[in-house]
Amino acid sequence: MANFLRARFPGWIRFAVLLLFLAAALLPFYWLFVTSLKDRQEIYGDVLTLWPANLTWNNYIETFRTSDFLGYFKNSLIVSLSSGLLVLIVSIFGGYALARYRFRGKGVILLIFLTTQMVPVMILLVPLFIVFGKLALLNTLGALIITYTALNIPFCLITMSGFFQQTPVALEEAAMIDGCSRLSTVARITLPIMLPGLVATFVFAFMGAWNDLFFGVMFTTSEHVKTVPVGLNGFVQKFDVNWGEMSAGGMVSLIPVAILFALIQRYIVSGLSQGAVKG
Amino acid sequence: MSAANLSANRQSGKRKKLFRRFEPYLLLLPALLIVVAFFAYPLGSSLRLAFMHYVLFEPQNIKFSGLDNFKSLLSDSVMPKVLLNSALWIVSVVSLQFVLGFALAVALNKPFRGKGAYQAVVFLPWAVSAFLIGMIFKWMFSQRNGLINELLMNLGIIHKPVAFLALSGTSIIPVIIAMIWYGVPFFGIMILAALQSVPHEMYEAADIDGAGRVRQLFQITIPYIKPTIVLTLLLRVIWVFNSADLIYIMTGGGPANSSDNLPSYMFNKIGYSTDFGQASALGVFMLVVLTLYTIFFLRITKFREAGDL
Repeated sequence: MANFLRARFPGWIRFAVLLLFLAAALLPFYWLFVTSLKDRQEIYGDVLTLWPANLTWNNYIETFRTSDFLGYFKNSLIVSLSSGLLVLIVSIFGGYALARYRFRGKGVILLIFLTTQMVPVMILLVPLFIVFGKLALLNTLGALIITYTALNIPFCLITMSGFFQQTPVALEEAAMIDGCSRLSTVARITLPIMLPGLVATFVFAFMGAWNDLFFGVMFTTSEHVKTVPVGLNGFVQKFDVNWGEMSAGGMVSLIPVAILFALIQRYIVSGLSQGAVKG
Repeated sequence: MSAANLSANRQSGKRKKLFRRFEPYLLLLPALLIVVAFFAYPLGSSLRLAFMHYVLFEPQNIKFSGLDNFKSLLSDSVMPKVLLNSALWIVSVVSLQFVLGFALAVALNKPFRGKGAYQAVVFLPWAVSAFLIGMIFKWMFSQRNGLINELLMNLGIIHKPVAFLALSGTSIIPVIIAMIWYGVPFFGIMILAALQSVPHEMYEAADIDGAGRVRQLFQITIPYIKPTIVLTLLLRVIWVFNSADLIYIMTGGGPANSSDNLPSYMFNKIGYSTDFGQASALGVFMLVVLTLYTIFFLRITKFREAGDL
């Protein structure tokens, strides 16, 4: 018995709604793709074409030739993977502690983590700039890895503790009675059950690092340490936007994200619905 | 077993017990160290900077200046516009993201063939960098050969291309549209996850008991997903309040600050005037606003009832 008041649409409306969202989601990407395949005359010509009249891959070739796009890409991958993994590991330890132990100061620690969520991150830009200056980390990938890790730990740790709370303690107790140590119990029993949660947490931290612009703009100046958004941003500012090459670069930067996302989106919804039961 | 051996055993047992007491702290230590060193400490120094004269290019002239930074914020003629933009930004973005996200979640709340692929495509914007989203929308709203202008002209709504992003009256509108588009998947995912956590048996039981649809909506669905919605809205308002990338990319806050919100105005202060003191004062102001908002929000929604965290 499907109906709207049970938070469901009747069939044909539902179909129309789904179609509309699909079109809205795709339109900007379609336009990016089409622009990347047009030559300069067509992009800036008098007639707007919805599909390239003279289809060309030149923009892609030019992007790779005139900018260090592969370098940006490598930097983005290094930064996002390292910071994603660091956040994941630290959150597993901390989340486990919050979920499975009673100890003094637990409330305070939880409060500190929650409070960080309402701090405007822009406020950290200047002080971190000064700190990294003193540590001689400015203009290195290290500064970005540290920043993204610090920014994402609080949220991920709390989420992770939620995932631990939903995994029954009885399973762990049974394994420990059978002689498993605490560490191997968690590694062999609990974490595999929590896999969707682990994936969701990692992806959250990865995306946070992959998509940041401001800290990158502030902390890096040399070409060889720029991430994709920072590199493309510099490219745009330097040579008045060349929309063809810009679009080609954008398309390429979309590929890994799209693949990653297609592979794990199932985990994200189920991971979040586990987390949603308890904050 | 000798007496010495026994006491050694007891000692190691004691040590184990002591260790267990410290275990949670040890497990939390890495997280706390990182957060204190690179989040709490910079936050503290930002509070200090707010009361200092600190301009990057005047390194000899760094000194405490009391409330000067706050005074100059109060007399800043741009601030009213920036505050107004911030309010417009938050209200329009969050409310429309929520409504559209809810509709999307409801439409997805039933299995169909190809649902996995559909979700992957529709939720994709969430994973794309704000930089790229900003550039695409900037290009679509461009006066010259922009898709939106072409569309509006074909529909007969306008007669010649409008430079939406370059006019102070309209510059913020394309950015708001881009931001709404960007955030719908997030709400969709969160609400869908919440809807799927409502047990089917509850509806079946309600059917048997003869509860009507309206009652089911108000007494089952909404109460059940309320904690998630409350938490999502709370976090989302904070997130949107703090968000400046699309503005920075699409308009740079211009023309003449007509599309600046608080954080983008702050970033412009850092970048152009390099007046770190004044920028920090603006940051402290934002922090105060957010704190008040959070307290107020938690009060009116009686957050405790929404589930303990």
